Amino acid sequence: MLVFATLPAGSADLSRSGKSHLRDSTKDGARALEAFLAGVERKAFRIAQIALRHEADALDVVQDSMLQLAHRYADKPEAEWKPLFYRILENRIRDVQRRRMVRNRVMAWMPWRADDEEEQPDLIEQAADLSPQPPAQLESAEILQALERALADLPARQRQAFLLRNFEGLDVAETAAAMQCSQGSVKTHYFRALQALRVSLGEFWK
Amino acid sequence: MSHEPASEGEREFEHRTRTLLLESADGLSGAQRSRLTRARHAALAAHRDRAPLRARGWMGAGAAAAAVLVALLVLVPHPGGAPVTAVAGGAVDDLELLAEGDAVPLNEDQDVDYDFYEWAANEAGTGTEAAPSVGS
Repeated sequence: MLVFATLPAGSADLSRSGKSHLRDSTKDGARALEAFLAGVERKAFRIAQIALRHEADALDVVQDSMLQLAHRYADKPEAEWKPLFYRILENRIRDVQRRRMVRNRVMAWMPWRADDEEEQPDLIEQAADLSPQPPAQLESAEILQALERALADLPARQRQAFLLRNFEGLDVAETAAAMQCSQGSVKTHYFRALQALRVSLGEFWK
Repeated sequence: MSHEPASEGEREFEHRTRTLLLESADGLSGAQRSRLTRARHAALAAHRDRAPLRARGWMGAGAAAAAVLVALLVLVPHPGGAPVTAVAGGAVDDLELLAEGDAVPLNEDQDVDYDFYEWAANEAGTGTEAAPSVGS
């Protein structure tokens, strides 16, 4: 106790500056995290939407992924955030797909309930936009729809490799970290996805 | 099998798909953007709430470790049994005795009354004999 009593007067300032330093570093971390999340959220949403073909599920998956990154991995170096975030996102997408599969199996045994509980698509959301659009825009919307269908039909690993490399712009090493596989596997998945998409979209790509 | 784009056609395909997807991400509806912003703010709030808890947790762990260290130093006995300070104190006392001017001369060439010292030692041991005459 005597030791504390004989501390120099400046030690209080040191303590205060330590606290403000902690506060500043926390603020910097929060700012960096916000910038990161703002930078990835739209692409992440599109990736989830293409995989799940359901807007609300895709938004939920992105929100869960953001929360988990902030909760568990915000202390990691910033360079690791992107592969970690997309790994979490893909796990969440897979969870939703598994739940759907189980639900569909259960529903198959209860045909009298299937019609009642099956989520009905939002008709307004599904309706085609009838407002006049320039031909180029119409064509590109059509091509985008075809691309989304083709991507959704790909095996999950090929779709993941293609979207992370081509759309999100991760390099091979980052993609491998996100997919938890070797870089060679990433290249193989990507190459196969590219070939399959070219075949699927051949007619749109003239 | 080559994994790199082999032709101009493949590179063009990659470029067009990327452009289409990026445009679709930029063209999200207001409702979608709003929902994403809310999701981001929820994640940041969770991060902010957790930061002080984390700092408090580290301080608590540090205090606990210091308390354990102090307890170990105080409670665990030293291997020699006696405190180190007592041993050191005894050694210093011996040195002082040897350095005194009237200490027992150990050099045999000097005139030493060995009988007196022998009697003194016996006296200390039994305390019964009479004192011999000095110089006998």
